[in-house]
Amino acid sequence: MCVGLSAKVVRVEAGTALIDASGAQREISAGTLENLEPGDFVMVHAGVAIAKITDDDAAEADAVMEELL
Amino acid sequence: MNESAARARDIITGYSGAPLRIMEVCGTHTHEIFRLGLRKLLPPQIDLISGPGCPVCVTAVGFIDEACWLALEKGCIICTFGDLIRVPGTEMSLAGARAKGADIRPVYSPLDAVALAKENPDRQVVFLAVGFETTMPSACLAAKEAKAANLRNFSLLTANKTMPNAYQALIGSADAFLYPGHVNAITGNATCAKLCTEQGVSGVVAGFTASELLTALAVTIRLLEKGEPFFRNCYPRVVRDEGNIAAIRLMNEVMEPCDSEWRGLGMIPGSGMKLRPEYADFDARIKFAMPEITGKPNPACRCGDVLQGKIRPCDCKVFGKGCTPLHPVGACMVSDEGACAAYYQYSGLV
Ligand code: SF4
Repeated sequence: MCVGLSAKVVRVEAGTALIDASGAQREISAGTLENLEPGDFVMVHAGVAIAKITDDDAAEADAVMEELL
Repeated sequence: MNESAARARDIITGYSGAPLRIMEVCGTHTHEIFRLGLRKLLPPQIDLISGPGCPVCVTAVGFIDEACWLALEKGCIICTFGDLIRVPGTEMSLAGARAKGADIRPVYSPLDAVALAKENPDRQVVFLAVGFETTMPSACLAAKEAKAANLRNFSLLTANKTMPNAYQALIGSADAFLYPGHVNAITGNATCAKLCTEQGVSGVVAGFTASELLTALAVTIRLLEKGEPFFRNCYPRVVRDEGNIAAIRLMNEVMEPCDSEWRGLGMIPGSGMKLRPEYADFDARIKFAMPEITGKPNPACRCGDVLQGKIRPCDCKVFGKGCTPLHPVGACMVSDEGACAAYYQYSGLV
């Protein structure tokens, strides 16, 4: 139940968003995120977008490791 | 694998220092670390231990009994995240209740349960609200939507839990924590940063991909070697220091703190969330005048020790014998995110 789904926003309408996760589309609540736009990436839990995200974990690893060394 | 992740892997495999105990608090981390084969990279002196961060695993036996009572005595439709269905109660699981005629429906989101209530105005629909800060906003949105629509046939049976007091209960069980990334996506990092500055507790926020888990482990190892308490956010593409402010506001508007029983750990004061009095009409315990129901866990199950990292799942006498994913004795063997289920699935027993 706790596995998050990262997905791309296709459409936003009055508190809900249509998302695409690797080809599978579904309606979710966008009630806790402001200024969501088509093309944004989000993390989804239990049908709710909980965070706007970037989709690049390689760039993230670069930034985190850079700081470490 | 990019260069940074490869460097992280080298730090992990090349570690030759003192023994280290690192606790992955979150059940999804336990599962992903196994699935990605990262345990095989660890030198023997690094011990990865599983923590209590699987909401299904820490749901008390009595909560399952309460849900069965609502289903069988009150004839409610029970909507639940699928993993809860096979968790053992005192006498039966929800699957057992279903075999006796109960109407149990797995849903992906509490908002789906609200929609079901709208479609079935002559039936009472109860959603089983378990989960940490990550899934709590969805339960709160469901309660809000039901209130706005004046739905008389929808309610929540709550067992939501929050992490800060659980961290207090876990202090000392590991040298560093891998904090659950999606909890911090909601709450922000202040609690973990404070644990470091005020109580010397070390940890990093970790993501879930191979690259993210490798970097989180490498950072943890390097900083443990330095010997100073530390806190780092290794999942910045998702987690901001301030968290999701609108979600925090929503949770505080709909719910308030309460004491909460954790399977195996007992009652942790202030570690739960329940509906505020303004939402009493949507609280299943109040709505159905539920009697006090206390569950009795199976004495053979050592989930409590597993959830605190005191023993490994395979140290439990019934692991893989009397207790398997097909016939679970304890909750940790049910959910994919449970430590016992992860050990069973990836330890060559299947
Ligand atoms: S192996 Fe089964 S009985 Fe033993 S601790 Fe794990 S879930 Fe409980």
